[in-house]
Amino acid sequence: MSGDRYELNLLVIVMDVNPIWWGQQAQREPEFTLSKCLDAVMVMGNSHMAMTTTNRLAVISSHFQDSHFLYPCKNWTGGDGAWDGTMDEAPYCGDGKYELLSVANNVVAEEMKRVMSTTEMKGNSTDTLLAGSLAKALCCILLQKIVTFFSAGQEMKSRILVIKTAEDCARQYMNFMNVIFAAQKQNILIDACVLDSDSGLLQQACDITGGLYLKIPQKIALAQYLLWVFLPDLEQRPQLVLPPPVHVDYRAACFCHRNLIEIGYVCSVCLSIFCNFSPICTTCETAFKIQLPQMMKSKKKKLKQSI
Amino acid sequence: MDEEPERAKRWEGGYERTWEVLKEDEFGSLKATVEEILFQSKRKRALESHGQVRLGMMRHLYVVIDSSRTMEDMDLRPNRLKATLKLMEAFVEEYFDQNPISQVGLITTKNKRAEKLTELAGNPKKHLAALKKARDAACVGEPSLYNSLNLAMQTLKHMPGHTSREIVVIFSSLTTCDPANIYELIKTLKSLKIRVSVIGLSAEVRVCTVLTRETGGTYHVCLDESHFKELLMFHVKPPPANAQSECSLIRMGRCAHVCFSQTLKHSQTHLDSTSEVGLSLGGYFCPQCHAKHTELPVECKICGLTLVSAPHLARSFHHLFPLEAFRETPLEELPADRFCHACQGKLKDKIVFTCPFCSGVFCTECDLFIHDSLHCCPSCINSQHSN
Repeated sequence: MSGDRYELNLLVIVMDVNPIWWGQQAQREPEFTLSKCLDAVMVMGNSHMAMTTTNRLAVISSHFQDSHFLYPCKNWTGGDGAWDGTMDEAPYCGDGKYELLSVANNVVAEEMKRVMSTTEMKGNSTDTLLAGSLAKALCCILLQKIVTFFSAGQEMKSRILVIKTAEDCARQYMNFMNVIFAAQKQNILIDACVLDSDSGLLQQACDITGGLYLKIPQKIALAQYLLWVFLPDLEQRPQLVLPPPVHVDYRAACFCHRNLIEIGYVCSVCLSIFCNFSPICTTCETAFKIQLPQMMKSKKKKLKQSI
Repeated sequence: MDEEPERAKRWEGGYERTWEVLKEDEFGSLKATVEEILFQSKRKRALESHGQVRLGMMRHLYVVIDSSRTMEDMDLRPNRLKATLKLMEAFVEEYFDQNPISQVGLITTKNKRAEKLTELAGNPKKHLAALKKARDAACVGEPSLYNSLNLAMQTLKHMPGHTSREIVVIFSSLTTCDPANIYELIKTLKSLKIRVSVIGLSAEVRVCTVLTRETGGTYHVCLDESHFKELLMFHVKPPPANAQSECSLIRMGRCAHVCFSQTLKHSQTHLDSTSEVGLSLGGYFCPQCHAKHTELPVECKICGLTLVSAPHLARSFHHLFPLEAFRETPLEELPADRFCHACQGKLKDKIVFTCPFCSGVFCTECDLFIHDSLHCCPSCINSQHSN
């Protein structure tokens, strides 16, 4: 990437920190806990920032009811100063590491501790709020695009990497699809790294925006997979042999039984899907016009006269 | 035809003192006023919403482009025809983004005749290719409003009743050459429930006023290029459905894309086109008859089933559940040093926006983005989820 002006690349990592899943995980496999996962993610983040001086990073943690920005954090610098380079108040690390990286690691660790200890558990849902975090990520990317365009006159490319652990939440389907279409319009890739169970929503997101979807067979090797598969950016991906695209199940569920169907009936007013014909749509309560078969005129048959 | 009272023309009203809108501040600069005007125009588009009106989702739209001699006029750069074709490309892309299960067709009129550029189709590629080719066409003769409307009507009258039938005419000439009485045609269009809208490029033409008034469309004359774009993009949003349009259940098949299929199959959609190679590796299979198609949404040529994929339907959902406009609050009412909930940037504008449901605070840019592209409030997703 030679040239006078480097391109600005922003990588936003959305981490799923569902306490229930991580708690169960700590009992299933003590070698891979949340802190190990965070280490692997920060290795990836550091590598991204170390590739070029103009690469930037943001980390969001996705919890039950809320999502928090772990880095850059407004409590620390009081604004979006992390990307302006105001390092005067940064805690001094002392081991000769590149300051930006050590600052990022410390801030992420501190904020993660704060988030996990202070967030209260309300309600009894066990799924994480991915649509909300993605929406915040998109708004943050947009703000940075505007800021860099006006200050430095450069275009900014960005992508989002989602690290998912718990199950999908069916209730956030519509918000999720809205977020995916908004990302596609802004040309923002969404990559997905799935640790436990396959997620249909993320498969659709990666297919629509053009990102990569990968389900990791061995969780301990998370750092390896992140660095080999997800670190290269969009221009370098065609030159590598990456995991093949998965077969996305685009079948929709019918509104009456929640079965996956291939052929169904769609209401022309509210676009709800049914598996059988019914005279009234249950969602919008419109009566449908039923096409009656046409009456055929019976032909008079001539009686054969027996001779 | 003349029963309704005519709208008062602009020159019949009182004088508009446009110079009083601009006010200078103490240093003599107009910057604040200009910013205010820009801000208002940005917000104006976001605030229009239909509320609980039923919208026509499945649309069949014909766009009639005038290619007569007056289109060579250079008041739109580089000339009217090229400017129109360029805006049409943007229109087609935006149209299929907002209405994924609808169809569009293109008709041009010149030399007192009308010609179909592309048939009604649900995929933008053909239309974009045809628009690019039409740039080199010559503009001759006079347009014929009757012939173009008739041509569009021939196809639209066979469309099922639950879809909306629309025609948008981009008319730049002041004359039209018709073989028969156009008022009869207007009556027929009205009885077939076809809505015709006109965008004029020169001046208001009486027959277009009557046409749009009778069929329930809109008629605007563009002032300059950005106004033209605005008028054209106005037709991208689904219009409110007619009260008499029928609602019915449409039988549709949902297709999954199959990549790298083992056998090369001859695709059904390539039977008609002669410019493309007939064999392809991946494609979509109809769930009923397993015929192969290269693009979606499409109607299967073998069994007649409409084929879509789930994201196509999901794209239209935001029209059905529109997001409410946010409340404007001045910055002074909030405690100091607040941050925008969505982008975490510091709030610097004088006016901030609050969501009426969850009281989340957003800056101007995020508010525009949320209403234009995102269609869901980031903080509301959180509060919905916890319930």
